[in-house]
Amino acid sequence: MNRHRTSTRDLFGRFGIYLVLIASSILMVIPFYWSVSTSLKLEQFVFASPPQWWPSPLTFQNYISVFTKIHFQTYFFNSVFVALVTTFAHVFFDTLAAYAFAKLTFPGRDKIFFFMLLGLMVPFQVNLIPLYRIMSTLSWTNTYLALIVPNLTGVFGIFLMRQYLISIPNDLLDAARIDGCGEFGVFRRVVLPLAVPGIATLIILTFMGTWNDFLWPRIVTSSEALYTLPVGLAQLQMKNTSNEAQIMAGTVLTALPMILVFLFMQRQFIEGMTAGALKE
Amino acid sequence: MTVGSITGHRKRRWGKYVMPYLFIAVPLLSFIIFVFIPMLVSFWWSLNDYSGIQPPRFIGFQNYIDLFTRDKYFLQALRNTSIFVLLGMSIGPTLGLLTAILLNQKVNFQAIFRTAYYLPVMTSLVVVSTIWVMLYNQNGLFNSILHAIGIQPVRWLSNPSIALVSVAIASIWQGFGFETVIFLAALQSIPRELYEAAMIDGANGWQQFRYITVPSLRFVIAFVYIYGIIGSYQVFDQVFVMTSGGPVHSTTTLVYYLFSKFQDLRLGYASAIAYILFAILVVFSLIELRLSREK
Repeated sequence: MNRHRTSTRDLFGRFGIYLVLIASSILMVIPFYWSVSTSLKLEQFVFASPPQWWPSPLTFQNYISVFTKIHFQTYFFNSVFVALVTTFAHVFFDTLAAYAFAKLTFPGRDKIFFFMLLGLMVPFQVNLIPLYRIMSTLSWTNTYLALIVPNLTGVFGIFLMRQYLISIPNDLLDAARIDGCGEFGVFRRVVLPLAVPGIATLIILTFMGTWNDFLWPRIVTSSEALYTLPVGLAQLQMKNTSNEAQIMAGTVLTALPMILVFLFMQRQFIEGMTAGALKE
Repeated sequence: MTVGSITGHRKRRWGKYVMPYLFIAVPLLSFIIFVFIPMLVSFWWSLNDYSGIQPPRFIGFQNYIDLFTRDKYFLQALRNTSIFVLLGMSIGPTLGLLTAILLNQKVNFQAIFRTAYYLPVMTSLVVVSTIWVMLYNQNGLFNSILHAIGIQPVRWLSNPSIALVSVAIASIWQGFGFETVIFLAALQSIPRELYEAAMIDGANGWQQFRYITVPSLRFVIAFVYIYGIIGSYQVFDQVFVMTSGGPVHSTTTLVYYLFSKFQDLRLGYASAIAYILFAILVVFSLIELRLSREK
């Protein structure tokens, strides 16, 4: 095509693109680098002037303190436990309901679905206070129940999974029924395996949402034994006596699991995040 | 099938009329108990003077009237939140679109760049805010860099006229990678032939952007702005961690104010704040609904 016009101007254009991309990527990574680097410094060098880009001396003491002086392993366990249970529950309940809404016919189906869709419009803050009252009436505050039970299933997940399931050919389901599968058998043997890409998306969105959630766990837990990582970290950060290098060790430990999951499941992550936007 | 068509029949009815309701039972009940009823109760409380200890006392729309006529902190929270949304929306999506367009120029290592922009998006806001508190420290990295080039240190989070902007900058840094990824996916779905045809017709880069890229992306652009607005109006975590609403209320946002009224046990009043937020968000949700139907 225009190959003969590929000139110095284009070359400069390419160069400019890389320059902007590299510079902005560095800006994105510096805060993370700085938190890792700070977490490996002695407290007296955290705000050294000029700043220490490379920790000297390099120490792992902050990571040890985070586990011995602050109970980070408790927060860590709580976060993992709550996120895993919530994610499993979402996969099961959301997909099952999505299957009913997408592929089964029963009286009131569309009305019920529409009714639940209204829930997508209600911001969580509106339900927050009554929900808290429900939890305290049931004496569920400061228990795992409050962290988990209100979030066993969600309208968004059902909506998302319905979009995936609706494209499964009905013939396939009928064939399984003729072979003697009950509806739950059809779900387990035919629908679930076909829904795997959608389920990967659901897992990522649910796990990330729960892992990073702050407002609800902050409100519903006041005992350190029940803190999740973000709550524990925020409390640590707000104590004036806290050691900045230790706090940074805490941020690294909180962020790292999510980043590792991301690096291993990058494609699913990107697809998951774009699914909501690009699928109508 | 000789054993009995009656059991078969019963089985079919069971499968047709009972199973579907069992399948949706937990989500439906959960929705009613944890979303629908609290939503109604919250509205009822917003019409009451309610502390959570004494029984609610009906006062009509007094909470709403007080909020708008007597409570200057609420009005300030409303203004702060709107400024925060405006700042974020005037920079975030543009930055996202720019980086997406650059990444879409057949660059090498696209995945690595994308990862860099995306890293903060999946990081907890508490983590991001904690890191930025350190960067913004009086003796932190930012002021060290300013010092090195001979600029006076800035009180990023303790100067009331700067703190809200500082919180917004950290939030934009955290969030625009999401928009990059959305825009990049949308850009990649525009057929290349459109650009090739435009080039043959002699359209320059700007004209291609104006007449091909923008029209092809219009629904995605609308989505990004509307969800951005809805999300930004609910800002809480950053404020909680970075400033606790201060200094002198300069970063108090709607949800932070709601949270503080909840802690003061003014549950009716806090519910009224929640419903005002709800009303703002419903307007944008309805626009989104309208647009997605058009699509």
